[in-house]
Amino acid sequence: MSYLTLFLGLIGILSAFLFFYLLKFKASSKQTNRGNRIRWNSYIPYKEVKPNKDKNKESKDTSFKDN
Amino acid sequence: MSQHQALNKLGRSGNPIIRSAAFQDKVSSSEEKMSLEGAVNKTSIMLFLTVMTATISWNFQGPLMSTISTIGALVGFISGIMTFGFYFFFVGWIVKPRPHNAPRTAPIYAIGMGFIIGIISQQAESFYPGIVIQAVSLTFFVATSLLLAYKTGIIKPTQNFMLMIFAATMGIFLTYIASLIFSLFTGNHFLVITGNGNMSILFSVVVVGIAALNLVLDFDIIEQSAEQGAPKYMEWFGAMALMATLIWLYIEILRLLMKLRSR
Repeated sequence: MSYLTLFLGLIGILSAFLFFYLLKFKASSKQTNRGNRIRWNSYIPYKEVKPNKDKNKESKDTSFKDN
Repeated sequence: MSQHQALNKLGRSGNPIIRSAAFQDKVSSSEEKMSLEGAVNKTSIMLFLTVMTATISWNFQGPLMSTISTIGALVGFISGIMTFGFYFFFVGWIVKPRPHNAPRTAPIYAIGMGFIIGIISQQAESFYPGIVIQAVSLTFFVATSLLLAYKTGIIKPTQNFMLMIFAATMGIFLTYIASLIFSLFTGNHFLVITGNGNMSILFSVVVVGIAALNLVLDFDIIEQSAEQGAPKYMEWFGAMALMATLIWLYIEILRLLMKLRSR
């Protein structure tokens, strides 16, 4: 194994750890507080929440009628 | 004792904190909404699945594994279309994006793509020893650099930025399709894609750049979805988008390194 491969391998391991570590943090206000952001919810319809089966089940359970 | 009283006594907690409305809301909201941490976990799961299947296809080469890998790539491609949709110039959405499919399609995508990546990587490694470690390392290095630039606000994705990247990505996609059709008739691919000349290397550098800038859009999708309290399945969607771009970036870096090493 060449020194270049070894060096790049080391950089790769460090980068991978740093990548997953940084991904957990919120972006700076410089990134989030600006008016020209892409409005992703107009392209990706993620507000269409499908009815949750468990929720319906839970509501049925709680609608217990006292005789 | 009436049934209602019995339910109150046995079925619910007497702890005033647990019974309070605030706690109930907090629990339900944390169950439903997306978080950055969740997206990271899902990306890790997908990466693990891809590496696992890539290791299997790397170590067990043969006709059977080639068939499995081809099926895997096809299934991965279909999973991608089922989640991200399929858009074509002047036609519009042929298949609309369905992010709620992501929790089912993302693991399938990761497994399927892992098989084909394993075979491609093994073949590249047999020609140029050490190239896979270099390509993987450079992929993570580029991804981390762009993530840092995104989080600190050095790169700010705007509507124009997105349109530019989208058009460039579609252009690359159409070039690959044209090369594939050309090869079906002539038996040769475009030299700019497969050759090792200066133009070919420049083309690869541009493609790597476009693939890397696609990562910025993925980071923005994950960040904004988490900010706006998108549904939980968006964690899988964000992770899948990120993995798809990382896989593409890895393949393009591998191709670029192969071109450089073959000179």
